[in-house]
Amino acid sequence: MPETSVSNEEIAERLGLEPEQIFKSSGIRRRRWAEKGTTTSFLATEALRLALEDAKLKAEDVDYLLFGTMTPDRFIPGSAPSVQKSLGLREIPCLDIRAACSNALYALQLASALTTSGAAHRVAICLAEIQSAYLNLSPEAGTTSMLFGDGASALIVSNEKTEGALEIIDIHLATDGTYVDDLGLRCPGTEFGASHTHSTGENASDYFPRMVGQSVILQASRKIVASCQAVLQRNNLAASDVRWMVPHQANANLLAQVARGLKFPTDQGGVISVLEDYGNTSSASMGIALDTLRRSGRIQSRDRLLLPAFGAGFTWGAGLCVAVD
Amino acid sequence: MVLPQGVTDYLNENAQNNGVEQPKPGDDLFKSGVLDSFALVDFIGVLETETGIKVPDSDVKAANFQTLEAVERYVESRKG
Repeated sequence: MPETSVSNEEIAERLGLEPEQIFKSSGIRRRRWAEKGTTTSFLATEALRLALEDAKLKAEDVDYLLFGTMTPDRFIPGSAPSVQKSLGLREIPCLDIRAACSNALYALQLASALTTSGAAHRVAICLAEIQSAYLNLSPEAGTTSMLFGDGASALIVSNEKTEGALEIIDIHLATDGTYVDDLGLRCPGTEFGASHTHSTGENASDYFPRMVGQSVILQASRKIVASCQAVLQRNNLAASDVRWMVPHQANANLLAQVARGLKFPTDQGGVISVLEDYGNTSSASMGIALDTLRRSGRIQSRDRLLLPAFGAGFTWGAGLCVAVD
Repeated sequence: MVLPQGVTDYLNENAQNNGVEQPKPGDDLFKSGVLDSFALVDFIGVLETETGIKVPDSDVKAANFQTLEAVERYVESRKG
């Protein structure tokens, strides 16, 4: 995580909001924002370095790299090659994926397929964002910009059932492009313009994140619950069979809504939230929450974990894992 | 049509919890503070249970549930 923590009190006035208003509507009290000039691949590299240490692996053990981010170092090429170089990985396939806040789930499904098919043995997944560089810090975008933080997480996927690992049981993914304009960032791109002069014109807002909050909340609340139910039902499980929910960290009120919709018990801390300290770190958030839970030492052997996510596109889904014996 | 008692009970209870007046047929349920986006998700669940209709995700937008009259029209259109 970047070192600099930015509190609601430090940004509320610029955003035209009250600090407590930000907390009540999101569950966020502070977020990390990277120093200017920090690259997303730098954060990803550091996260992957720690993940390799944790898994007692070396850089040369990795034979495939997936990098989920919506805030890449450059427009072209992807950011995975930069991680490959800075970490000294072998000349392996390196691929960026762009499923927004669902990146962790999409990466896990791809990595699972790669290892199951034998195309790869140890897939490294980097999930990182530096969103602070793109935020509109003015009252007109206050309720959007208050949400987002910077950060990175990394996971290793292999066929080896090592101690402390999680086994991927199933992942359900879905997309509905009807809502492509309700959440995202339009430019640069071929649809709305790629010229940098565009950013000073009447469509300058196209260079900032856009979010139709009501549409996101309404669709996310229903689609996340439906996806969780789908992945549970096809594995003959109920929400009560799951010990931990480790969701994409979108908004505390949304997480509560999803837990309520699933009748998932919330009184025993089963829903993991790191929103208060880190905000919404998009691609990185599920990995950060998962790391927080693992480090707490509370995961018991055979515990089941549900991993729901929802992001721009709209893309959404739910993963189901079990702690290895 | 008349909405089932469970539907109006939910809205009236929400209004009470939010410290606002019980909604009249033409009142904007969002501007009056009876519903917000999160409460609408719960409300649609109540509506589905109480009326037997299925609300597809594509219909989950505030405009369909802006007032009690709009809710009645929507339920009628789904039953029709």
